[in-house]
Amino acid sequence: MKIKYFAWIKDITNNEDEEIISEKINNLDELKMFIIKKYPDLKKHFDKEILRFAVNQEYIINNISLDINDEIAIFPPVSGG
Amino acid sequence: MIKIQKEDFDSEEEINKIKDLHANVGAITSFTGYVRNKNNNKKVKSINLDVYEEMAYNQFKKIINEAKLKWQLTDCLIIHRYGKLDVNSKIVLVSSFSEHRKDSFESCNFIMDYLKKDAPFWKNEFYDKNNEWLVNYS
Repeated sequence: MKIKYFAWIKDITNNEDEEIISEKINNLDELKMFIIKKYPDLKKHFDKEILRFAVNQEYIINNISLDINDEIAIFPPVSGG
Repeated sequence: MIKIQKEDFDSEEEINKIKDLHANVGAITSFTGYVRNKNNNKKVKSINLDVYEEMAYNQFKKIINEAKLKWQLTDCLIIHRYGKLDVNSKIVLVSSFSEHRKDSFESCNFIMDYLKKDAPFWKNEFYDKNNEWLVNYS
């Protein structure tokens, strides 16, 4: 699955996007755990519950199943307009 | 019409292009957002806007459809820029086209409220010596 990072999240991951392939990731909660393990500096932001998640460009609040072809985006609160 | 672009634009020209398509339109309400020279008591030099372009496009489409269900709208225009923008630059233009003013006033406000809350753009504000990512609170 393709993971995209935006705004200051990119400064922590040093990456705009990446492909993550793991049989252990079947849903969004498992992906979050995987990402926190890979980027420990993100943990405090996950803990504060300020980050937002989109799967295939739709906001997702609850845990959902993920498919290998899904595009998941992780980003902070928005500030457009 | 939705445009997500780096380039500046001529608001009047963009609005007229749509107006010319609809002789029934009697009311157009527009909002233009600009880069301010001051924010949170800090002197702003410029901003850099990050965007999740595909999602922004889809979300704009969705909100325009939602607005069209709530109000009698003939057309809608959203232009949102990204990249480096200096003070005084336009950031966003939202225009609602309708037969009567109430529909255009209210829908333009509705679209801007959504845009501030949910459109996937992020402002990185640059000052004399540092920079800061912003969050919309309203």
